[in-house]
Amino acid sequence: MSKFGTSQPVTRLEDTRFLTGKGRYVDDIAPAHALHAFVFRSTAAHGVITALDVSEAREAPGVHLILTAADLAEAGLKNAMKYSPVKNGDGSRPPLPARPILAEGRVRFVGEPVAFVVAETLAEAKDAAELIVLELDDRPAKLDIAPGGEVLHEVAPDNVAYDFAMGDAAATEAALAGAAHVVTHTSHDNRVIVNSMEPRGCYAEPEGERIHLAVNGQGVWGTKGELAKWLGWPEDRVRVTNPDVGGGFGMKGMNYPENLLVAQAARMLGHPVRWMGERTESMLSDNGGRDLIVTTTLGFDAELRLVAFRTDSLSNMGAYPSNFGMNIQSSLYSKVLTGTYDVQTYHFRNRGIYTSTTQIDAYRGAGRPEAIYALERAMDFAARELGVDPLELRRRNFIARAQFPYRSATGELYDVGDFHRVLARAEACADLAGFAERRAASEAEGKLRGLGLCYYIESILGDPSETATIEITQTGAKVYVGTQSNGQGHETVYAQLLHDQTGLPLDSIEIVQGDSDLIAHGGGTGGSRSVTVQGMAMRATAETLITGLTAFLAEDMDRADIAFDAEEGVFRAPGSNVVVTLIEAAGRARAAGRGDLVQVTETQTLPGRSYPNGCHITELEIDRDTGVVRIDRYTVVDDFGNLMNPRLAEGQVHGGVVQGIGQALTEHVVFDAEGQLLTATFMDYGMPRADDTPFIAFYTEAVPSTANPLGMKGCGEAGTVGALAAVANAVQDALWPLGLRQVDMPFTPARVWEMLQHAERIAAE
Amino acid sequence: MYSFEFAKPKTIDEAVAALAGEEAQALGGGQTLLPTMKQRLAAPATLVSLNSIPEMIGVCVNDAGHVCIGGATPHAVVAREAAAHYPALAALAGHIGDPAVRNRGTIGGSLANNDPSACYPAAALGSGAVIKTNTRDIAADDYFLGMFETALNEGEIITEVRFPVPQKVNYQKFVQPASRFALVGVFVAKYADGVRVAVTGASSDGVFRWAEAEAALNADFSKAAIDALSPPEGTMISDLHGTDAYRAHLVKVMTGRAVAAA
Repeated sequence: MSKFGTSQPVTRLEDTRFLTGKGRYVDDIAPAHALHAFVFRSTAAHGVITALDVSEAREAPGVHLILTAADLAEAGLKNAMKYSPVKNGDGSRPPLPARPILAEGRVRFVGEPVAFVVAETLAEAKDAAELIVLELDDRPAKLDIAPGGEVLHEVAPDNVAYDFAMGDAAATEAALAGAAHVVTHTSHDNRVIVNSMEPRGCYAEPEGERIHLAVNGQGVWGTKGELAKWLGWPEDRVRVTNPDVGGGFGMKGMNYPENLLVAQAARMLGHPVRWMGERTESMLSDNGGRDLIVTTTLGFDAELRLVAFRTDSLSNMGAYPSNFGMNIQSSLYSKVLTGTYDVQTYHFRNRGIYTSTTQIDAYRGAGRPEAIYALERAMDFAARELGVDPLELRRRNFIARAQFPYRSATGELYDVGDFHRVLARAEACADLAGFAERRAASEAEGKLRGLGLCYYIESILGDPSETATIEITQTGAKVYVGTQSNGQGHETVYAQLLHDQTGLPLDSIEIVQGDSDLIAHGGGTGGSRSVTVQGMAMRATAETLITGLTAFLAEDMDRADIAFDAEEGVFRAPGSNVVVTLIEAAGRARAAGRGDLVQVTETQTLPGRSYPNGCHITELEIDRDTGVVRIDRYTVVDDFGNLMNPRLAEGQVHGGVVQGIGQALTEHVVFDAEGQLLTATFMDYGMPRADDTPFIAFYTEAVPSTANPLGMKGCGEAGTVGALAAVANAVQDALWPLGLRQVDMPFTPARVWEMLQHAERIAAE
Repeated sequence: MYSFEFAKPKTIDEAVAALAGEEAQALGGGQTLLPTMKQRLAAPATLVSLNSIPEMIGVCVNDAGHVCIGGATPHAVVAREAAAHYPALAALAGHIGDPAVRNRGTIGGSLANNDPSACYPAAALGSGAVIKTNTRDIAADDYFLGMFETALNEGEIITEVRFPVPQKVNYQKFVQPASRFALVGVFVAKYADGVRVAVTGASSDGVFRWAEAEAALNADFSKAAIDALSPPEGTMISDLHGTDAYRAHLVKVMTGRAVAAA
């Protein structure tokens, strides 16, 4: 295998472009003469709209258009965003309130779009927005994640969005009643603001009878379908593109009101219109992540083997159901509900709760980090309560290697895994044997030291099908893909994959993504799906291409024995000096009218999902005087199967772990009693920084997946899935000797100091 | 941001004249003012930049041995050029914000704004500095009048700040995790005529001297001397980054660490 092919740590081809300012982000490439849009948003968390007067604003200098809910109605447009409902546990449909594009009748969170102002310049649009009169009959904010309270939607009088359930409640109750030990643990998985480096933005331009919407998203086809349907147009009149995207993390994976409004404004005005979110605006209006309270009940037999598993959770929906808002903490959470443990008797209930806050939807991992967090906190807690080593409790309950393929309680078919082997490697790599000594050294300095473990498993999500088109050009190849890089390095990995099969140099391969005119279908980026499914489609396409050209050359040159040498990238006939490069072969085919052999398309569907898993071990110190938590050592051993590019895989783990550390230590969303977001700038919202982050020791123990031909497992979200509980369990470990039994993220200095104060009160009693 | 006029005087006299105009506002490094203007929360008619006045930029040592810093000197320059003369002051300047902030933000701008979480007010008050303006000299003890309040008159410009150099000194900053401003910062300086303890970040009255700690440290300059003391809890800031009790506790912890490190 060449040094540029798969499994080689090739450096990222796209980074020169990104790091030298040549990235093409949506705000860089909007037409220079585009009009500027500004969104007039609610400054109150909850109120009935008694007056909305935009007449003065419409007359303001430079203003071309102002849209309100009334204007959408007048244009015959439905004032509702699409979303995907779930069913209640009893099979009934939950109430389905409309999520308006522009507020109608009532505002339900600070930042909700109320009016859309389009003007010559951004300053003029903002000036005009200051002339808009919005009068509200203020209502109390609903902020707690619990049924009841101030009613937000008349169709959901108890603020319960849905009541989801899986499993057998009666059997679980009976198994718990008969269990030798029952341990219950409740954890709060704190809310986060996603904060992609590049905020959301878009522009739209009329192209004849069509509209082109460029948006920094995670795939173009969903947006295209939704926009066409909303406009009442056939899909071929809509083109959606995603240029370079500076981070999505699930937050950019769905449509937003601004995308539709920009397109409608461009359509009405016959002129390009652009919108770019500012930071505080993004913090107020981007879909949030997490925010759920989970109670996990574990029943063990006398040998400490799990016999029953129950989860009951309340999750914050925000004010409206967002695209996947109802699915994340219900069906997606259920995918890894019981993790790596062998237990079949279970019950899972999740209720979504409406609150007067920004809507919550997918954030890196989308339900799976949440499930693993609650599970691994509970398992760790159980080990401490039952007086058994946390590693030992996990070992007693792991699905054994001989049990694979293993059908989990919630129906997932885990293909392969060797959890004992991965855990043993982690135990050695993290030097657990030396922990007692390190703890003693910390204590000698007056500090607390804790060790935390998380054994996670992830289920890969997203569309299991993908298409690739490969076109051999006069200089190399163009590959049309249905995925969408948000910065992960897809261009590099895909070029490696094609290099392996064709011998074409990496820099002769161009990856084309994110244009609904050039690519008919695709699944975008999300759920750690991209390289597995796109790689499989590319592989099939390249095989078809090579097979076709080989047959063509055999006939054209009358050499039946001609064969392709992938390493050299040439066709050869044995025993002769016939050498035809791939590009030459394509040229001959083209000249012979066989363009169909030069541009080839294949679609592939994964036979099954892969289940990346691994072990994160965190060691940290707590300064008893200040409450500061400092992570000292961080070890990851992952089973990602075969690695396509080890450098990029490790980079994904680093990024994921840091996002996890951010949620665990620094990221703290705070609303006041009126529902105002107090952490709406980086002056108050703590993103993790380099000096909050330890060096991350990364190792792999590969058990190749049997569910795809590459033998790989998606790695995009795994770091986040493992990090949360590893950090939190380490804090719990450090504070356990002080008598503290309930510790919840985020572990900011002030919150940890309060916990330490609580420990002093416990000690005094 | 609303439209405004921009003046760039070359001398202090020109700056004073420009600031006499209607709704004129002095601009130092703009690290607070410009974000405020971008949010449309401030709308001066004219910004008068103080950053092109050569006599207001630079670090020197006068005949009395005081370190003199021009009012428009950026933090990065102080960090570099004061290091040989007053290392603790240079270190404080070198840990304000990030490199972009340190290359734009100025000492005069920081002291004129008197943010309750800023570092320079602690250095000025803790050093017993003299704040020189275009019209007078103001002792630091008379200068800080409360959160965002100073003794400066309308249109008055900080031209220089003079710092006596202490025998022993240390600044301990406990950072607010998001902004990295001082959640609590304690500047402890021991002079021949006594110890000064200045606390920033903690009080709703802005930077203050902790008199009890000074008295205790005058008698015994050791960490143990303040063990029995309790900072005044009633005036402490309470917000999402820490309660008043937490801040009061941190004042004591940081004071102890500053004394130990001085």
